[in-house]
Amino acid sequence: MRGFQLSLNQTQKLRLQRALEQLESLSSKSNSNASVAVADTIPVNYEDGVLKGHGTLDLDGEVVATLCGVVERVNKLVYIRTLRARYKPETGDIIVGRVTEIAPKRWRLDINFSQDAVLMLSSMNLPDGIQRRRTAVDELNMRSIFEENDIVCAEVRGFQHDGSLHLQARSQKYGKLERGQVLTISPYLVKRRKQHLHYLEEFGVDLILGCNGFIWVGEHVEAKGILIEDQTDKAEQLNTKSSSSTFMSLEEQERTYTSLETRQNICRIANAVRVLANLGFSVTVEVIKETVNLSSSLNLDIHEMLGSEFYVLVAEGEATRKSMFTKKKG
Amino acid sequence: MVGLSVGEKHFIQGGIAQDLRTDGRRRLTYRPFNVETGVIPQANGSARVRLGGTDVIASVKAELGKPSPSQPDKGKGRGGEELSTELSGALQHCLLGGKSGAVGDMEVLTNVLGAGIDLSSLVVVEGKVCWDLYIDGLVVSSDGNLLDALGAAIKAALTNTGIPKVEVAVGASGDGLPEVDISDDEYLQFDTSGVPVIVTLTKVAQYHVGRHYIVDATLEEESQMSSAVSVSVSGQGRICGLIKRGGAGLDPSVILDMISVAKHKPLKKSHDYLGTPDITQPSSIQNSSWMQYLLYTNKLTELLE
Repeated sequence: MRGFQLSLNQTQKLRLQRALEQLESLSSKSNSNASVAVADTIPVNYEDGVLKGHGTLDLDGEVVATLCGVVERVNKLVYIRTLRARYKPETGDIIVGRVTEIAPKRWRLDINFSQDAVLMLSSMNLPDGIQRRRTAVDELNMRSIFEENDIVCAEVRGFQHDGSLHLQARSQKYGKLERGQVLTISPYLVKRRKQHLHYLEEFGVDLILGCNGFIWVGEHVEAKGILIEDQTDKAEQLNTKSSSSTFMSLEEQERTYTSLETRQNICRIANAVRVLANLGFSVTVEVIKETVNLSSSLNLDIHEMLGSEFYVLVAEGEATRKSMFTKKKG
Repeated sequence: MVGLSVGEKHFIQGGIAQDLRTDGRRRLTYRPFNVETGVIPQANGSARVRLGGTDVIASVKAELGKPSPSQPDKGKGRGGEELSTELSGALQHCLLGGKSGAVGDMEVLTNVLGAGIDLSSLVVVEGKVCWDLYIDGLVVSSDGNLLDALGAAIKAALTNTGIPKVEVAVGASGDGLPEVDISDDEYLQFDTSGVPVIVTLTKVAQYHVGRHYIVDATLEEESQMSSAVSVSVSGQGRICGLIKRGGAGLDPSVILDMISVAKHKPLKKSHDYLGTPDITQPSSIQNSSWMQYLLYTNKLTELLE
């Protein structure tokens, strides 16, 4: 996430300040989940026997923080979660990654983790759809499935004994992502939910919230069906691939572009994600939809969503929404 | 800089063809930019320009030195930047107008400053003492379009520059250097309306011949660029320099198109913002929607302290 600078005038600064303060006061766990800086003492109930986790230190009988972040408690374990932390994978996470390398019988993907994740050839559906043993020919044709720098959606299968991460992309909903754009945000802004692959019908856009902070916003692609459809699709793909590698006339290429309306929706959603990420709010489908509706109701031009006025409006909107939510609960 | 997949490249090119880039901008729309002056108090003049994710700082330092023998009645200027060779060469050509033969960083901006500022105001004692201006540029973060940002930063820094008034001690000096007394209070300022502003137009071409070019490319769009033309335009609308980068060829009609677009860009309106002490002065509006966009996005925090 690149650092951004907002130039706000005085009133906008005040409004933003007020909205953020309101949000802070509304967050229910403001006592035990205090944010700490280095050398702050962590309030702990010592009689219970506390397990000191990452980012803590026992100093003169007190538990002291060694990192700047938020205190997390799980039963007896107390640890510090930093805000700009790297992605911490868990089995079953859906992630979006970029292929960095093709190695024997596997692809290596960059997923904003400390090391590249591995997607084995055997964990990937073959293009002809048949379940069979991978042969040497399949290994040589790996590039026809994924090339370097391709964007891939996959699921975390688990960790190997040596600590490396393994992925699988066996279902039809996973695989290569084209016709769209990837956004990078902090991983902790994407909360783990039941569903990460969303199809927004009113926009005709696929939205994939990868747990590693890579968000994919793209044109909707129907999940490929059974064997017969695979073959016809493959024939089409071969045609477009060969024609794109040679000189394509202007009209042909224009035909393959995304339609303008879908593109506008994609850009609006992408800008909504950028605004939310820069403000530090969690990115969920509901919030994204609300932000997009807010921008369309104000008749803002898509690029104006990245201006300072919209940032302030989004912060205020989020504050009012949270306050209404807590009022409903309480 | 991470690579881009074929699908993403196709998406970017489609966006440019349909006049809707990935962040929703049109082809000829700039990102919101922000200019601050006086960021380096120890320098005589400084400015910081933020253009989207690109962040550059330019500083001007003035020191007393000896004028060059060929121009005893003018001051001198020197420039230095930490840029790749290609960009540094491009920057010189843009500001300089193609007169420089050497690709070195030194001695280049003298001619530009001669065009933009009255260098005779920099002289203290003719033939013996003059002010040397050292202009440095630093790229803090790059998100594409460095040339435009640096050009704007240099112009703003020059506007912000204050050269201390100097009193020359009366007395026979002969060949030695005369005594000078640098005042701490009074400052001279330049009229920088002649200093040009750079506009870069990037062409992201595919295999076919397209006529679309964009202004203010982000890093991803720049990685796809086939060629780029940078034009430096002075406040009076005159072209001071032009350079083309990139390996692909350009049709001459496309270049003429680009030049006329560069002359009427909103960044040109920033000549008035970057060059005048009073930003409330309205400038002549060529295209009212550009002016509205300008007022919405360009926020000047402090112009002259």
